[in-house]
Amino acid sequence: MQNFQFYSPKSIEDALDFLSDKGDSCKIIAGGTDVIPGLRLEHLCPAHVMNILEIRKLRGITEENGRIRIGPTTTFTDIVQSDMLKQNLPLLVEAASSVGGPPIRNRGTIGGNISTASPAADVLPAVIALGAELELQSRSRGTRILHAGDAVEAPYKTQFNPDEILTGILFKKLPQGTKSAFEKIAQRNAMARAYMNLSIVLRATDDGNISDLRIVPGAVEAVARRVTAAEKILLGQKAEKNLIDKATETLAAEMVGVWIPEYKMPVLRNVFKRVLSSVL
Amino acid sequence: MEEKPSKTVLRMSVNGRPVEVAVRPSWTLLRVLREELRLTGTKKGCEQGDCGACTVIMDGKVVNACLVLALQAESKEIETIEGLGTADDLHLLQMSFIEKGAVQCGFCTPGMLMSAEALLRENRQPSHEEIKVGISGNLCRCTGYAKIIEAIESVSPKKIVRHSPHSDGY
Repeated sequence: MQNFQFYSPKSIEDALDFLSDKGDSCKIIAGGTDVIPGLRLEHLCPAHVMNILEIRKLRGITEENGRIRIGPTTTFTDIVQSDMLKQNLPLLVEAASSVGGPPIRNRGTIGGNISTASPAADVLPAVIALGAELELQSRSRGTRILHAGDAVEAPYKTQFNPDEILTGILFKKLPQGTKSAFEKIAQRNAMARAYMNLSIVLRATDDGNISDLRIVPGAVEAVARRVTAAEKILLGQKAEKNLIDKATETLAAEMVGVWIPEYKMPVLRNVFKRVLSSVL
Repeated sequence: MEEKPSKTVLRMSVNGRPVEVAVRPSWTLLRVLREELRLTGTKKGCEQGDCGACTVIMDGKVVNACLVLALQAESKEIETIEGLGTADDLHLLQMSFIEKGAVQCGFCTPGMLMSAEALLRENRQPSHEEIKVGISGNLCRCTGYAKIIEAIESVSPKKIVRHSPHSDGY
């Protein structure tokens, strides 16, 4: 590991001041489950490492104006143990519980999962499926809001600026009757990177027509996104078998390419059908 | 020749005792425990958070010591295997591991015990599945896990009550 200077601010203000001066040569560390291996392998060689775990305001799950705010240094364990999130955003709880094992979940954070922007992330696709907004702060731009789906430009690259820090992840509460499901395919039941994951959020009206549908596969493309072409097949319709098959084929056609070779397609099709059936 | 950054004094509590040690920013908690404090019960395995050999309890939660920068442990309470029990004063879990044959080479054992201890503090009667999740961050190359799970199950009060009316004083 190359040497660096370590700074541990106690307030967002101090962090912003530091980043406005040293942001270009500074790596932010929270739980460290991605950053420390990166430092050790020297993928990361920053002059400065800024620890944000001592900034109390960055951790926690609160409700404000009908929205749920999750601080970026909220750990996966915090998320998994939150009764409020189990009630309101169960998709997030499922995704977070699939990450690593207990020691990883006690340190890994939702902000870190987003900021690392790994193509194999488990929580980031769920955050996108839930239509979350990201609150970023900096001295140069003040506060700006970014849709979660726009956050990642390329593998391991967010569009956050070097002087910016993620200060909140904001979720609208899902309307009554909204269902969601998550599945992760990996080599092991724990401590394994996803070969594929899938987040689906679905809401149907009383007459059975699908009024809202978000499909976000993860670990199958460079950057996770909603597959709107497949969503459109089912929106406004009742979920009949022929439409499910058509949506499956549309999803497959969208996904096949450099990142997901033909031999993985039967798995994607089956996972999609299984997860979709569980929310119908 | 690159100049090394100067050391900073780290103050934390280890197994109930306050500790002060000069550290470099790039050092991990694992390095400080093993090399500076000579608490070599915590093992160095993969050094990337995949194996759990370095599992310790920090502020009541299991963490991989290899994934904590030493300076992130400032003011924290660390518990290592040395604090769990000693040869003369074995912890109930340690006695159970020995009785059940849950130790072969012993390398994963400190990490397994810390994970088991943390699990039992939060959930005194874990199910078979909950035990599996509780130790899912700890790899064992020797035992195949069955005896480890049995050893943890056997300190659950349900099992003890079956054989004896006395409480285990947990």
